[in-house]
Amino acid sequence: MNMSFREKSIWISLVSTLLIFGDYFLNIISLSSLPADAAKAATLGLSLRALFLIIIVEIVCQAMLAASNRKAAELGADERDKLFEYKGNNFGYTVLVIGVFITLGRIVFLEINPEIIEQSTLLNIPLLTAHILLFSFIFSEVVRFSAQLYYYRSSH
Amino acid sequence: MATLPIKNKIRELRFFADEMTQQELAELIGVTRQTVMAIEKCKYSPTLEVAFKIAEVFGQSIDEVFQYQSP
Repeated sequence: MNMSFREKSIWISLVSTLLIFGDYFLNIISLSSLPADAAKAATLGLSLRALFLIIIVEIVCQAMLAASNRKAAELGADERDKLFEYKGNNFGYTVLVIGVFITLGRIVFLEINPEIIEQSTLLNIPLLTAHILLFSFIFSEVVRFSAQLYYYRSSH
Repeated sequence: MATLPIKNKIRELRFFADEMTQQELAELIGVTRQTVMAIEKCKYSPTLEVAFKIAEVFGQSIDEVFQYQSP
């Protein structure tokens, strides 16, 4: 497949984000069955693991990519890369803003109806607000990468 | 992505410029080979700066290299 250095780099970011944070969020959902203290400890462990993994995977894979495409890595982003990055950022930003408003709406809703928390087992996940915000951020990143890749693929 | 209304004759000009490769042209104008390929296929319209650079490489005026065809 005829891909530029930047496109390959975005593929790495997309796949690693999907795998690492996909696993993270699946594990977070399963925490609702645990007691609160155990769930909090597990959440911290999962968060640190995901953070550590994404940093390591990105550094190692991007470094390997740059080493195998040294000339392209030194050239940096050209005007087409920057245009696609800009378009991707627009999509990602929209998703992030929607996520922030959903989170705000949830906070306000639960403030008005606190009894809902006790009725729902899913809402008993510790730090749920933080997870929703994190999910919004990760989803916005996935949308951003996907939009850029769409533009790259469309211009071939 | 559909082809864009700005057409060009870069492929022809490369051929007559001693069969210049896309990579060579890309290096001369400071973009990637994939960008040159996208411009040639009319899948991406370059900025004025890059359009002028391409014209300069081939010693042509910009309107000899790029033509606007209304869709």
